[in-house]
Amino acid sequence: MSTTSPSEFAGTTMRSASALSTRALRNTRRMPSTFLPTLAMPIFQSIAFAGTFFAITKVPGFPTDRSINWYMPLAVCMGAAFGGVGLGFSAIKDMENGFFDRLRMAPTPRRSLIIGPLISCYIRTLVVVTVVLLVSIGFGARPTSGVVGLAMLYIAALGLSTVSAGWGLGIAFRFRDMRGAAIMQLTLFLTMFLSSAQTPLNVMTGWLHTVARYNPATNILRLSRQGFLGDVTWDGVWGGLVALVGLSVLTLWFARRGLDSLDR
Amino acid sequence: MTATLSVQSTAAMNHNWRIGFRQTVAMSKRSVLALWRQPALVVPSMIFPLFFAALGTSSFGRAINLPGFPKVDSFLDFSLAGTIVQGVLFGSVQSGSALATDIENGFFYRLMAAPSSRLGILVGRLAGAAAYGAFQTLFFSLLLLPFGMSIKGGPLGVLIMVVSGGLIAIAISGFMAAAALKTGSSEAVQGIFPLVFIMLFFSSAFFPRQTMSGAYKHIADFNPISHLIEGMRDICIDGLSSGAIARAILVPIAIMIVSFTLALRALAQRIAAQ
Repeated sequence: MSTTSPSEFAGTTMRSASALSTRALRNTRRMPSTFLPTLAMPIFQSIAFAGTFFAITKVPGFPTDRSINWYMPLAVCMGAAFGGVGLGFSAIKDMENGFFDRLRMAPTPRRSLIIGPLISCYIRTLVVVTVVLLVSIGFGARPTSGVVGLAMLYIAALGLSTVSAGWGLGIAFRFRDMRGAAIMQLTLFLTMFLSSAQTPLNVMTGWLHTVARYNPATNILRLSRQGFLGDVTWDGVWGGLVALVGLSVLTLWFARRGLDSLDR
Repeated sequence: MTATLSVQSTAAMNHNWRIGFRQTVAMSKRSVLALWRQPALVVPSMIFPLFFAALGTSSFGRAINLPGFPKVDSFLDFSLAGTIVQGVLFGSVQSGSALATDIENGFFYRLMAAPSSRLGILVGRLAGAAAYGAFQTLFFSLLLLPFGMSIKGGPLGVLIMVVSGGLIAIAISGFMAAAALKTGSSEAVQGIFPLVFIMLFFSSAFFPRQTMSGAYKHIADFNPISHLIEGMRDICIDGLSSGAIARAILVPIAIMIVSFTLALRALAQRIAAQ
């Protein structure tokens, strides 16, 4: 009886994951309509919010006088998050048309069914962040702390796409039909907006201030805005990193448990 | 003899009008009942505007002291009109989508095969949307009152806002009905939603035009949604004035004439194509 060594197992996982991510990226190329909203919405959000709420930067205590510097990282994070839950939609579609059952019957490690789509999600997120960043610079956004600040934006976006992908896949594996789509989107939407999405904590008043203070999305947004509101500081970074790592572990575990529940 | 024929034809015309009216009322009732029986269709257009109002009040509460911001006691006073129009816009997309669903599932063609009023199909749907828009206006106004909002126009102001809400619903639903009749696809009507959302954001729904600058201000100045909102907003934050009432009523009517004409043309084309 032959046994598989850990390195062989990891190799098989990565080969399967790579094939699945290639498939997801091919689907994006063949059906751009599935990806374009994920790209168009953050661009729209960045420009529209910056224009509509331009005057809010004049409120004492607002950390920048460029509204787009405040709203562009939010738009990027929303785009990354919705791109992540998009994996949940794809999984539901695959389950409804039977393709996912064929994947489950294949002799591939289960984890590759999560890692593969996740890799494709990272590639799409990188495209979204770069395009939104360039367009926003065209509309007046100005990085304030160079490459390190931009790296914070990319880290926040990639981390958030991991969190939302885990959440989306976990919900998809449990609901197994499009009923889960509304839950994925709504929870994400609420989590993102009940934070310092629109204004910093010191400008908020009332109930939202309390909710936003304890919402981990506030820390993630703070991380993403590091490169646009002044210098990058450890105080502004660590909370976001902890939130991303903690939520990623939780949601990926949620997705894995959901995947296992399909076999039961 | 000519006089008898004339009396008979007038009586027949009156009879036809009465039947047409009854059919239109029945169609309106059907569209309202559909909303009542499927709360899932209604809830987003009720909840999301309230969520944004609550969020805006906490996020932008301090903005009311900025130069150029209208004199208000609370951000809620400012945001009520935007909240109402937002809800009515979302509800109107549903109304158009329901008409498209009628086409998709064949109900529309069964009505065509029946000796029913063609106009009643459209007017009934728009009347249902108007009833829902008026209800949303009243609901949002009453619900936000205990949270510190005040309506300077008083009860009469609320009544005028309710009428305005109903007219705005007809105006927007007219465009959605035109899209539904043109395409016959509920997916296509839902596809208009992002466009509606974009128009809403590039208007004075969330922030006053006086605080905007550059291209954004120009877009908001020309955006009809800004003008739909501002008549109602004037009644809420400044009280009743002939200018505010005229804006709240006449702007929706002007847009309604355009959208209803488009919807009628699309209806005629669909009937002709059948």
